Amino acid sequence: MSGQGCDPAWLARLPGLVAELEPYREMLLANVVMVGEIPAPTFGEEQRIDFVKQRFIECGLQSSSSDEVGNGLGIIPGSRGQQTLLLSAHADIPFAAGENHTFSVEPAAIRGPGVADNSLGVAALITLPTILERLGIRLESNLLLMASTRSLEKGNQQGIRFFLENTTLPITTAIALEGTPLGRLHYRSLASLGGIISCHVDRKLSDQSAIEVLNRLISRLGEIPLSRETNTACVLGSISGGATYKLPARTAQLAFQVRSDTDESVAEVNRLIHGIIDELSSGKSVSVQLEVIARTRAGGLPSTHPLVEASRKIMGVIGIQPRHGSYSSTISPYVEQGIPALCLGLSQGENVNYLDEYVEIEPLLSGMAQLIGLLVLLDGGRDE
Amino acid sequence: MNNSTIWLESNTFHHSQFWDLLRLIKRKEQLGLTISLCIPTLNEEKTIGKEVVLFKSELQDRYPLLDEIAVIDSGSTDDTVEVAAAFGAEVYASADILPEQGFKRGKGENLWKAIYQLKGDIIVYVDADISNIHPRFVYGLVAPLLYRQEVQYVKSFYDRPLALSKEIRPSGGGRVTEILVRPLFSLFFPDLTAIIQPLSGEYAVRRQILEKIPFPVGYGVETAHLIDVYSQYGLEAFAQTDLDRRVHRHQRVMDLGKMSFGILQTVIRRLQAKGMTTDMSSLSSCLRQFQVRENHYEQIIHEIVEEERPPMLQLESYRRKFGRG
Repeated sequence: MSGQGCDPAWLARLPGLVAELEPYREMLLANVVMVGEIPAPTFGEEQRIDFVKQRFIECGLQSSSSDEVGNGLGIIPGSRGQQTLLLSAHADIPFAAGENHTFSVEPAAIRGPGVADNSLGVAALITLPTILERLGIRLESNLLLMASTRSLEKGNQQGIRFFLENTTLPITTAIALEGTPLGRLHYRSLASLGGIISCHVDRKLSDQSAIEVLNRLISRLGEIPLSRETNTACVLGSISGGATYKLPARTAQLAFQVRSDTDESVAEVNRLIHGIIDELSSGKSVSVQLEVIARTRAGGLPSTHPLVEASRKIMGVIGIQPRHGSYSSTISPYVEQGIPALCLGLSQGENVNYLDEYVEIEPLLSGMAQLIGLLVLLDGGRDE
Repeated sequence: MNNSTIWLESNTFHHSQFWDLLRLIKRKEQLGLTISLCIPTLNEEKTIGKEVVLFKSELQDRYPLLDEIAVIDSGSTDDTVEVAAAFGAEVYASADILPEQGFKRGKGENLWKAIYQLKGDIIVYVDADISNIHPRFVYGLVAPLLYRQEVQYVKSFYDRPLALSKEIRPSGGGRVTEILVRPLFSLFFPDLTAIIQPLSGEYAVRRQILEKIPFPVGYGVETAHLIDVYSQYGLEAFAQTDLDRRVHRHQRVMDLGKMSFGILQTVIRRLQAKGMTTDMSSLSSCLRQFQVRENHYEQIIHEIVEEERPPMLQLESYRRKFGRG
C-alpha cells in the first residue's frame, strides 16, 4: 500500500467534507430508493445489478460489466493506475422477491426492507463516482467498484470469493461497505462454520417426533466443551419442524453457527458435531444430516496496521466514534486471498433484516465523508 | 379503421420507449421549452418526501428535465408542507395563489392555480399518493410532447399484468371508469373511449392548452379536460403513455360514489352546453348513499356541487403576468 502518510491539506479539508457533501444528499437518498425497491434475494440479484451497471455507465465508468456469478463491476481509472483499490457492497438482501419492497422517505429516516443491509451500501457505491467528480477528487489509483452477489446465508459470499479468486487486477486494498452501523470498523475475520442439521423420522418405522430427536441433539451440542481462550462459541440460530400440533413431526431443522478465533477450534467442534450426528442417526428409523452453508477463515489485520490506524484517524477527524468489535465474516474472503481489507458502516439504523428496517438520514453524509476521506488517504491524498 | 383505432395505434406509448434521458434533454434544449412539475397535496406526509427526493435528484440534478418542482397544498394538517420543503420542493399554499379569486377546496383548484403560479411551457401533474413513484411517471408523460409537436395533452395509464396466461386479456381503468365514464363516453364522445384510463391523475399538458380550458375544482377535472380539449382540438391532440404499475391507496366504494356524482355533473353540464341533453338546473345536487346503524338503514346525503373555475386566460391578472393579449 502506498500513500498512508496523512496529507495535511487533505486532513484539513476533512472536517468540512460533510458540509461539502450536503448537495448530494438527495442524490444518495434517491439511489437508496431506486436500488432498494428492486428485489434482490440471494441468487436473484440480476435486476438490481442491471441497475447498478446502468448507473456505472451513466457515470462514465470503464469496463462496466458483470462476471460469471453476476457481480456488477465498474472502474474509475486512476491518473497513474499502478494500484487498484476495491470498494464493494453486497447487493443481495434477505427478502423474497414477492415481499413488498416499497420504500418510504421520512424527514429523519428512510425505511424499507433491506435498506440497512445493504441497499444503502450499494447506493453509496453508485453515488460515489458522481460525488468524486463534482468535488474534483481524482485518485491516482484505479478505483474498482463492485456490487457483489450471493453473499448472504447459503450464498456464502460466493460473489466476492469468485471475483477475488479469478481477477487479474492488482488489488492492493479493499473496503467493504455496509449500511449500518456508522462507526463499524471491522478488519478481522473469525473462523466460523454455519450449517443446518436436519432430522428425519421414517413414519413407517417409528412414530417418534423429529422434534424429540432435535431436542436430544441440542442437549448434546450443549455438552461440547468450548475453549474460552479462543472465544469459541456455538450459536443456535433458528429451528423449524413439523406440520401440525396433532401429529409427531416427521422433520425438524436447526440452523447454527460455530465461531472462534482459530480455524483449529472450529474444526474440532465440527468433528464433535459429526460424532453426535452419527450416534443419533444410528437406528434405521431416524436420519440426521448436516449441511454446511457457510465457512469463514480466521485472520485479518492487526489493530496497529496502518490501514486500521488511518481509518481511526479519519473517523476521529469527522467526529465518528469507532464502535467496539473488529470482527466480521465479510472480511474472510479477503483474508483467504491475503488482501488487506476493512468493513465500514454508513449510518445508524434499526430493525435490520425485518420489514420495518430503517436507516437515519442525518448521519449519512458523515458516513460518506469517512469513505471519501479514507479513499483519498489510501491513495496518497491527491486532490485536483 | 376508425379514428380512435388509428389514434390508439399511433398515440399510445410505453415509458420504456423514452428511457434515453440524455436524448430527451437534448430535445428539450433544442425546442427551448421549460417544464414544471406540479404535485397537488392534501395530507400526504407519508409519500411526498420520496416523490420530491426522486424527482429532484433524477430529473433536476442528474438529468435536468424539470425546471421547477412545486407542491401546491390545499391546507394539509399533517407535515406534508414541512417534509416537501425539507427535501427541496417549492411549496405553495393554494389559498395564497390568486387570493382575489378566493379559495375552493379540491384537487382541481390546485391544478388550476398551478397555471398561474408555475413558469413552465409544459406542466406535468403527478398525484402525491403514489408509493412506487419513479422518474418514469414524469418523463413518460413529457416525452410525447417533446417529440411530437401536434400532441398537446398526454395521459397516463397503468397496464402491467402480474401474470399473463392468455393472449387476450381485459384492460382498462378502475371501477368508476368502467361503470360510469366509459359508458358515458361511449354514448356521447365515442372517440374518447380510446383513452384507456381517463381518470388517471398523472398528465402533462402544454400551457397554451391549460390556460384555455375551465377547471372543475373537484372530482370532475380529468373528465372535463378530456371533453373540452377533445371538443376544441380533436383526438389527435392527445397521447397516452403506459407507466406500468401504480401502487396507491384503495378507495372505498362510498368514496367512488361521490367521485361519480361529481363526474356526472361535469359531463351533464358539457352535454347541456352542446345541446346534447337536459336542463342542469332542474337536477338535484345531493348524492344519497346508505349505511346501517344498529340494524337500521339510514340515508347519508352529500351535497356535491361541481363548481368550475373559468379558463385562466379570462383572468386579467394572468394575461398581465404572462403578457397574453
